[in-house]
Amino acid sequence: MSTHLVEVIITSKAGVRDPEGETIHKHLILKKGYSAITSVRTGKYLLMTVNTNSAEEALKIVKEACEKLRIYNPIVHDIEVRLRA
Amino acid sequence: MPLTQDEVEEIRKILGREPTVEELAMFEAQWSEHCSYKSSRLLLKLLPTEGMHVVVGPGRDAPAVRLFKDFAIVFKIESHNHPSAVDPYDGAATGIGGIVRDILTLGAKPVALLDMLYMGEPWDPHANWLIRGIVKGISDYGNRIGVPTVAGDTWFDYAFNTQPLVNVACVGIVPLNRLVLGSIRPGDYIIIMGNATGRDGLLGSSFASKPLAEDTDKEIGAVQVGDPLTEKLLIDALQILVSRRLVKYIKDLGGGGLTTAISETCADHGLGAAIELEKLHIRQKLTPLELLVSESQERMLVVVEPVKLSEVEEILRNYDVMYSVIGRFTEDGVIKVFCNGVKVAEVPAKELARPRAVRRVSHPPAEALKGLKPLYSLPPEPSYEEALTKLLSSPNIASKRWIYEQYDHEVGVRTVVKPGLGDAAVLRLLDGSSRGFAIKGDANPRYTSIDPFNGAANSVAECFRNLVAVGAKPIAIVDELNAGNPEKPEHFWYFEMMLKGLAWMAEELRLPVVGGKVSFYNEDHRGRQVKPTTTIVGVGRVKDVSRAVTMDLKESDSVIAVVGVTYPELGGSEYLYKVFGLEEGEIPRPRPASELRNAKLILKAVELGLVNAVHDISVGGFAVALAEMAILGNLGVEVDLDLVHARGVMRLDELLFSETQARYVVEVKSNRVEEFKRLAQRMGVCISLAGRVLDKPVLILLKGSKTILSADLGLLRDSYNSLEKAIEGGA
Amino acid sequence: MPKIAIVKFPGTNCDEDVKHVLVNVVGLEAEIVWYKEFSVNKWDAIILPGGFSYGDWLRAGAIAARTQAVDELVEARDRGVPVLGICNGFQILVEAGLLPGALLYNDVGRFVCKWIRTVVERPRGPWLALVRDGQVLDMPVAHAEGRYYVDEETYISTLLKSPVLKYLQGFNPNGSIHNVAGVGSEDGVVFGLMPHPERASEELLVPRGFSPGGRVIFESIAHSLKRGW
Repeated sequence: MSTHLVEVIITSKAGVRDPEGETIHKHLILKKGYSAITSVRTGKYLLMTVNTNSAEEALKIVKEACEKLRIYNPIVHDIEVRLRA
Repeated sequence: MPLTQDEVEEIRKILGREPTVEELAMFEAQWSEHCSYKSSRLLLKLLPTEGMHVVVGPGRDAPAVRLFKDFAIVFKIESHNHPSAVDPYDGAATGIGGIVRDILTLGAKPVALLDMLYMGEPWDPHANWLIRGIVKGISDYGNRIGVPTVAGDTWFDYAFNTQPLVNVACVGIVPLNRLVLGSIRPGDYIIIMGNATGRDGLLGSSFASKPLAEDTDKEIGAVQVGDPLTEKLLIDALQILVSRRLVKYIKDLGGGGLTTAISETCADHGLGAAIELEKLHIRQKLTPLELLVSESQERMLVVVEPVKLSEVEEILRNYDVMYSVIGRFTEDGVIKVFCNGVKVAEVPAKELARPRAVRRVSHPPAEALKGLKPLYSLPPEPSYEEALTKLLSSPNIASKRWIYEQYDHEVGVRTVVKPGLGDAAVLRLLDGSSRGFAIKGDANPRYTSIDPFNGAANSVAECFRNLVAVGAKPIAIVDELNAGNPEKPEHFWYFEMMLKGLAWMAEELRLPVVGGKVSFYNEDHRGRQVKPTTTIVGVGRVKDVSRAVTMDLKESDSVIAVVGVTYPELGGSEYLYKVFGLEEGEIPRPRPASELRNAKLILKAVELGLVNAVHDISVGGFAVALAEMAILGNLGVEVDLDLVHARGVMRLDELLFSETQARYVVEVKSNRVEEFKRLAQRMGVCISLAGRVLDKPVLILLKGSKTILSADLGLLRDSYNSLEKAIEGGA
Repeated sequence: MPKIAIVKFPGTNCDEDVKHVLVNVVGLEAEIVWYKEFSVNKWDAIILPGGFSYGDWLRAGAIAARTQAVDELVEARDRGVPVLGICNGFQILVEAGLLPGALLYNDVGRFVCKWIRTVVERPRGPWLALVRDGQVLDMPVAHAEGRYYVDEETYISTLLKSPVLKYLQGFNPNGSIHNVAGVGSEDGVVFGLMPHPERASEELLVPRGFSPGGRVIFESIAHSLKRGW
């Protein structure tokens, strides 16, 4: 048994609007002249500490929990599950 | 929902040629059930829509009713059932956005929101996820646009575990002479203001016009994300444009998007329009077809006469509202759509806006008999205290604090009677006078599923009583009929009966039905309809908001009076379901004559200042109403059941928990009891002076000298406040 | 007659409420000023009202705090012009560094709208001129990000020397550290609070069991602008 840190990043799917990202981009970033930044998308970040025998198992458990507990809504969200480097 | 073969044939006839793909898309959007009411339009003619106070009846995006001689109230209801089942957070949020924009179209200032939520059981994991998402969606959107959510209605039922009903309403106020009624002329400009158009929400109305697919995860095209900041900017900009009289007409881009907004505006005014699609401000590159039917949220159409165009543009720029001038109205009654100089559609506006109505087949299912079955052999009576505790902790009765505390219900400084304390919310106009209005939404899905005619009638009556209980004179209602699949005769029968019950009761209570919505295809993935539900939102006039009455008991030694007669009517009651697990029997009879008579007494007693508290008796019956008043007032109460007028009652549980209509519990001031009695006598109203308020925290029910129930108020309060635990500790 | 500016950002929603109380309840002159048109030198006092500036996105108040209008507030403070931030206005003042600390998401994890009870410690400056030390003020809160946080060192070195508004025991709706509901600059010229005094300025709007505790704040500024503080 060892401890693994697993990151979960939830973002809106490509076709789904993100008014928060748009507002940060339009009213803050562009207004202050950072025109090299062409878009902003927001999301949610979760860091989970998982006790399992292997890293693969940790990823599997987190993925399953995210699906089953509707930690993200598959209809509007993309999810990325990865080990913290 | 795709056009039928017959409909395509009809389109060919209208155009006299093969339609283009753009034209087909326009017809498909506009002729969807959601936009055209094609299945319901013939029956909707049954509703009484006229009245002395009605300024704008059904037909516009929202109706207007004269509240006082110089002030109109604009209010409307809307459902977002299908989007909320798929994405509860955004589905409910965009429902709020849509209903607020409807109110804006008459130039009114939105001042209150209501949410009528019929959801699954909190302990079902999927339903719990839906409940949290829906409430948070309304909270995040409603709070951000600065319109207080002041009232509503809730019901938790297994039938809604996967398909909830999310009905929302908005109320606006406007000085009568500021109403934007419209007088468009050829040559006036068409401006689209608000969000940029994108691919989000393509053909969302068609989506709402069919049952949910088994795999809803694939319905991505119809999911829309709310943008409350843009909505708030629209609200503020329109207030300025309207106050400076710069716009002639306003319309929401809702279901059917640009197509519906333009075709209905043209058809209503006997005009045509020339549209240049490439001028529309967009989020991403779209085809002409997509531009015509995209249902991107937070967009509105305003009509401006040429001389005022530059002033309007300057205001929109200054207030950070995106806009585009996309065309002008024409005389010929034809909508011509161009994209970069190429004509992509040419359709007569009237024919596009109004498809032929369909008379659907209607047939009662065998199940409908359960509402006709008298209850003749009930199980033995349980312990009354246990039954009362069970009812108070039922999510259908328990305090909705977990919900309304997530809503800003005070912004606007108008909310005089706040959620949780009154049978309806009371708001002041804030025009320097003491005038105001009351507002409330009601439904009982169990009643309408057992007996759709009488159930719908009872929804009207309950809303009526709730308004009266705070001291308001009811003046008009709007309705939302949530039904199943209109193509199935056994579903359509429920719709037809609900509509007829609503029409009958509204007429009896002299309440014009000034607007409404119909939501069909509320089925789960197995094709079963959810409980068909009639939601009523009513407004009442309040001459002096400082006299509005709440339901919490105010002082010991005042007298408890029951207004109205109790009948053995346990059919369809919360008691029968919670204690015996039964959902059947004759539901309480609608009693319009008693409603009118008893309401008159309550209103007079409030006006004369005879009463401290009033509460209507509804779900849970007399015992629950009494307990709520005691819990909220933190004062005890003692009532002798022998003194409560009843007819035909054989068992005490019938007296305690029957949901007989037309009844109220009233706290009469101890020094005004004689006056109250005489008033009731004069008005021919049956009242029972049955008890008094105590200064110790206990609820005591007697039968003569025998104590039937003696419960600690603290324990009852714990049950009443258990909803938070049911939801937060739920799944 | 002294004039008060009520600064409105995209998403501000309590501007008209504050104006109503200033004009109709305490009889001051006040104007709602769009953030693009705000300039500091015309005004005797400035209020940033509640709402959701820029949708509350990124963090509540974070985007409004980077506007020209808020840059000018620094100048106002330096010249001793009274500045009050209510709810989102308080969040903006904190984000702009005009007041210490930070406002985090409520510990209950959701928006909370309800009446609470607060107590004033070390009243000082124009906004609390008529308030007694230890006076209890009832007001409603309505926010999602109202959990005040400040490190212990700053609490001791700054807050303990400044006027502070605290939730009474049992009324802390959000988990604020040391029950802080509002905080001022040391001289009290800049003050910010999460509760809404404008919703607690008229008897009519107060639920049974509470009293209109917000009114004294507006009466204080009326008094201070006429007679000094």
